[in-house]
Amino acid sequence: MGSLALVARLVLADVRRHKVQAAMLLLAVTVATATMALGLSLRDVSDGLYEQTRAATAGPDVVVLSGDKGPAVTSALTSLADAPEVVAHHGPYRIVYADLTTRDSTSSSVVSSSVVSSPVVVHGFAETPGAVNRPLVTSGYWVRPGGTVLERGFAAALGVRVGDDVTIAGRPYPVVGIAVTAATSIYPWAAQIGPGGGPSDSSGLAWMTRSDARTLASSHELPVTLAMDLKLRDPAATEAFRHAHRVPAVRINFHSWQFKATQDMVILRDSQPILVVGSWLLSFLAVTGVAALAVARAAEQTRRAGLLKAVGAGPGLIGTVLLAEYLALALAGDALGLAIARLALPAIASPTASRIGEAAGPTVATVITATILALVVAVLSTLRPTLRAMRTATVSALSAGAYQPRHRPWLTALSALLPTPLLLGLRLTARRPDRAVLQACSTATTVIAIVALLTRYVQPERGYGPDGSLALPNLRDEHDRRLMLAVAVLLIALAVVNTITLTWTTAMEAQANMAIARTLGATPGQISAGLSIAQLLPGLPGAVLGVPLGLGLLSIFAAPNWTVPPYSWLYGAALATLLATAALTALPARLAARRPVAQALSAETA
Amino acid sequence: MNVSNAAVRVRGLVKDHGRGQGRVRAVDEVDLEVPQGQMLAVMGPSGCGKSTLLHLLGGLERPTDGEVWVAGRRIDMLSERALARMRRRSVGFVFQAFHLVEELSAAENVELPALLAGRSRRQARRRASLLLERVGLAARARHLPSQLSGGQRQRVAVARALVNDPLVVLADEPTGNLDTAATLDVLKIFEELRSPGQSFVIVTHDERVAATADRLVSMRDGMFVDDTWLAGSHPRGLGGLIGLEG
Repeated sequence: MGSLALVARLVLADVRRHKVQAAMLLLAVTVATATMALGLSLRDVSDGLYEQTRAATAGPDVVVLSGDKGPAVTSALTSLADAPEVVAHHGPYRIVYADLTTRDSTSSSVVSSSVVSSPVVVHGFAETPGAVNRPLVTSGYWVRPGGTVLERGFAAALGVRVGDDVTIAGRPYPVVGIAVTAATSIYPWAAQIGPGGGPSDSSGLAWMTRSDARTLASSHELPVTLAMDLKLRDPAATEAFRHAHRVPAVRINFHSWQFKATQDMVILRDSQPILVVGSWLLSFLAVTGVAALAVARAAEQTRRAGLLKAVGAGPGLIGTVLLAEYLALALAGDALGLAIARLALPAIASPTASRIGEAAGPTVATVITATILALVVAVLSTLRPTLRAMRTATVSALSAGAYQPRHRPWLTALSALLPTPLLLGLRLTARRPDRAVLQACSTATTVIAIVALLTRYVQPERGYGPDGSLALPNLRDEHDRRLMLAVAVLLIALAVVNTITLTWTTAMEAQANMAIARTLGATPGQISAGLSIAQLLPGLPGAVLGVPLGLGLLSIFAAPNWTVPPYSWLYGAALATLLATAALTALPARLAARRPVAQALSAETA
Repeated sequence: MNVSNAAVRVRGLVKDHGRGQGRVRAVDEVDLEVPQGQMLAVMGPSGCGKSTLLHLLGGLERPTDGEVWVAGRRIDMLSERALARMRRRSVGFVFQAFHLVEELSAAENVELPALLAGRSRRQARRRASLLLERVGLAARARHLPSQLSGGQRQRVAVARALVNDPLVVLADEPTGNLDTAATLDVLKIFEELRSPGQSFVIVTHDERVAATADRLVSMRDGMFVDDTWLAGSHPRGLGGLIGLEG
């Protein structure tokens, strides 16, 4: 207990003394774990929402659909309803393929409002829903003659509310209600099958009374398919049911509830890699930034270890004290990240309004994975200086001074040929190759994020309107773009913090040498430029490598026919990253270069 | 006094450290003129303002009040950039703590000011080799500072201070970290490498070092309390004169 109290006191004192470093570790771990927890939770949340919608709407276990016509189809469907595995059924009912148009109610001006059009499938339902597939009305009323009910995800995309009018196949219908169902996939995949059993386009879902649906189909000779919803004795046995009831004479499609749950994830297909890969990159940047700060504190940590050894602390206690601060902050960041993920999950895991229910929080497995990630970030950032501090002999540790760079004659000779800012910059870079690697990695990660963002934005857009028109935006693409933008902004923000940190730690560590250079005639401008160049030099290969690395990473997850942005854009972005790095380093470099020379030299002597 | 003949000249020099009640006057209304070619020693107890005076003369700190002239040019009003240029051309520094760049070899340390002054690498290397030879460290030109003794490091620092052939060398306790033999070495080098017209201002605690100077000023509480012109310099038999030999 005494040891624990001692460790806690030492850790608290250390956190108070290094508030910026503590805040940075907390922020970096929070962002990384939140992103990872979101990425890993998508499937569970999506499945959970489907389950809740299914329970609330008496969702069928199997939906049977046929694009064929005639008595053979009706007979086949009736025989399926009479099958011994079936405990209840709904239908057969008509599915009519039509176009729906509405005024764009999202437009602020009545004068400039435009017509929005979308493919729609109309389900002909009884005015009193049966035991299976009872859509849940979330606003307004259920179908009545002359009125239509729109599926909630579809209504949200159209911007239509109860009381608005829509036109289906040229005929106006008032929207009497908004509802959700688990019998179809989420918007825009409500069609399930296309006319005649062929492939289906993106479509919304509307319900009408049976007679209205029949009238709609017959008056305009619209394509129709038949569907029936089945409730099985064993809901899990959908696959066995399908195999047992193949009908050779007619084409019948069996859509199980498991298939629909899986289909719900299609809209999140690219979201998961964006978040998970994004969390890896964020973790990498977190390690980079925190390691830069830990390296800058290495001498202090070594002295601290020496002091603890001198007063009798064992290796275990010393290791605990040195690592506890980072581990405690990492765990705090992990908890914060998981809380943020919990709050953000509903919006991210359910981009359409087609499902109802509460999004469950991250699972135990996700919590464990995120926690491992947080601990790995903390340990990787600090293990090396901690081990060095523990291994240094007590007397040496107590007198540990500033880092002693290696002599690199070839580099010194090469830099002697260069103008003063480059000479200083190259020599500063060579002082800490590990820091140069961190800067290169940080820059490469930034460029990877920008390449991903540019690639996302050059992909051809296909909306959910008729023939892929953008009158109705592609929800999946929009969702992915927003996610990618958010992840890229977080990556760039962390990279910005890293660049400033690396410049400042370089400046602080080299302040004695820079002061000496000042006494020898280097101007503050040359020192400042040298410090900036010290960040730019490793940033250059990082930026150049970031482009192919980004494209390589995207090729793993992108669709087979993805469009690569023009290389002029990609390398323009790499150049812009370097220019931004130069701008970001200017302020800390300038501040460091302005430090009075006498003060810096006195500090060194002391 | 002819201003153009003075390597360094200060008038009414004041330097305060801190603010408000914590303000300390490190240099108080000091007037000084160091003619070209003169070796001036500044003595005084710790904290009397010697090092601050030296920093003011080299433009490393700005005075609170007064004027500083180096090589006939007033420097206390100059920008940092102009001060840097002035230091390249006219001033060389030697510090008690040597302040060598640890990751550069002795030769690379010496050639650094020449490179900063815009000399070619070849010129800088040639000049550094010459100076290292003259301070007796030609064989150790490739050694890092950590591989040299204190006296050798200070000899490197002296060579570095002289590489651009400055008008004035400002030395802050140059022998403060050295043993007797190394002190003698450094003093000999000062004498031997001093070019005609080159001035030295040496801050020291060591009376034996001060005795080698042409002139000795004593400081107390930021002010000069004594200014003694010694009877010529002693380039030969220096050690014997000041009791460092035998």
